[in-house]
Amino acid sequence: MLDVKDVVTAYGKIEALKGVSLSVEPGSITCLLGPNGAGKTTLMYTIAGILRPRRGSVRFGGDELVGQSADRVVNRGIALVPENRLVFPQMSVTENLAAGAYLRHDHGEIASDLEKLFARFPALKERRSQPAGTLSGGEQQMLAVARALMSRPKLLMMDEPSMGLAPLVVEEIFRIVGELNRDGITIFMVEQNAHMALKVAHKFFLMEQGKVTFAGAPGEVAQDEVIRRAYLGSAKAT
Amino acid sequence: MGFVDYVQAVIDGLLFGTTYSLIGIGFTLVFGVMHKINMSYAAASLAGAYCGLVGPQLLGLPAWTVFPLSIIAAGAIGYFIYLTCFRFIPLASPLATLMSTVGMLLLLDEIVVHSTAGMPQNYPAIYDGDPVEIGSFILRADLLGVFLVCVAAMAVLLALLYRTRLGLATRAVAQQPVAAQLCGMRLQAVNGLTFVIAGLLGGVAGAMIGASVGMLSPLISGPITVKGLIVTVIGGLGSIPGAIVAGLLVGAAENLFQALRNVTERDIYVMLLLFVFLVLRPGGLFATARGRD
Repeated sequence: MLDVKDVVTAYGKIEALKGVSLSVEPGSITCLLGPNGAGKTTLMYTIAGILRPRRGSVRFGGDELVGQSADRVVNRGIALVPENRLVFPQMSVTENLAAGAYLRHDHGEIASDLEKLFARFPALKERRSQPAGTLSGGEQQMLAVARALMSRPKLLMMDEPSMGLAPLVVEEIFRIVGELNRDGITIFMVEQNAHMALKVAHKFFLMEQGKVTFAGAPGEVAQDEVIRRAYLGSAKAT
Repeated sequence: MGFVDYVQAVIDGLLFGTTYSLIGIGFTLVFGVMHKINMSYAAASLAGAYCGLVGPQLLGLPAWTVFPLSIIAAGAIGYFIYLTCFRFIPLASPLATLMSTVGMLLLLDEIVVHSTAGMPQNYPAIYDGDPVEIGSFILRADLLGVFLVCVAAMAVLLALLYRTRLGLATRAVAQQPVAAQLCGMRLQAVNGLTFVIAGLLGGVAGAMIGASVGMLSPLISGPITVKGLIVTVIGGLGSIPGAIVAGLLVGAAENLFQALRNVTERDIYVMLLLFVFLVLRPGGLFATARGRD
């Protein structure tokens, strides 16, 4: 479904991605693990069209995404729930969701999607006219996920959805990830919480210092080693 | 001068203050999406009003055409300023756009001085009927016309911002540009359109300033720039309701100071008002609520 090949993305002279290749199978939950500074968020933004890679290719269902603007990527069916959630703080919950449906023009369907999301996230329904900036961290994360879903993505990318949240909220988020996947949405997520990630993932990649250093399926490999490296990087690196 | 005269001065000031509100909104709108001050904004608004004069003066069109022409011209100048002073300028440097827009301010003023030989140009009133008398107070018909036009412009802007898709995109880009892009909004298109909308508003303000003063002169652009910035600071950068209230406040205060002291001292007190706000309420009248993150 998503094929990333040899992608190099740089900030000035510093290459954050040094030739990253990975692929996401349709219908799967794929996790990207790795320590801070490995380039996971850079990869997410590169796929989403916010950052432009220096070279390499990102193919989605046969279409080349490199060189496409972010709105084209959304139109193709990829949505990103960004790191730190990035809700629109002064807009109401409903307006945030309307922004997520910005590229859609099927008003009747948008309204029914809104109701479906409010059924899935009751806390958001309760606070529908409240400014998003006044929501708790967990509610903001739910809102960011709901906003991304409003574009009806085939591939939902999530960048650290559990960051800074209480354990109960983290479990809730992983439960929703599983539900969405069962509804047919392919999930590609970056996660620091390797324990949780390895529980739900069908496949995972480990990224260290701008490169994919390991790929596998949970259960296939010694998980302790993967988890250790996900948090700390490999012995060679440290 | 008695109490009645001071109240009358405040009334006149409030009516004219709506033009300051529009200028303040224009500064605030552009600051909202770009996080940069467009120093050339007030000069561009007046340049738009000057362009409107081309219709009646050179093309022989009826006098009323000056108003729509001024507004359209100012919108076009707004987009031109976006292209020349923002679009291709490295935005990471805070000084770069400050310099480019101050340069544009000087350039626009210079073009105006050059093409009018520095002579003031007559500008028609928006409405020259009889004044409306309420008790011992008088509402000047021309100022009433200015007030109604400016209020209508604000209403249109608010409807645009809060009721349309473009407005949603403008607010989204202002609050969280990366997320706006992830929703499929095109940053540069939204930025460019914001300059056009701010320009159109400035065109209304420029035309209404011309209409209430009765003429346009190159000497107006400096004071209007400064007052627009004062309105923006008092209202709080990025706050539209703040800019509206602050415009009325500055308009009323200015006229009251003029009645209490005289026209030569008036601006001193308006400037002092700026310092009072910078010290006591640096976030503006309604410092906006911050989110938790």
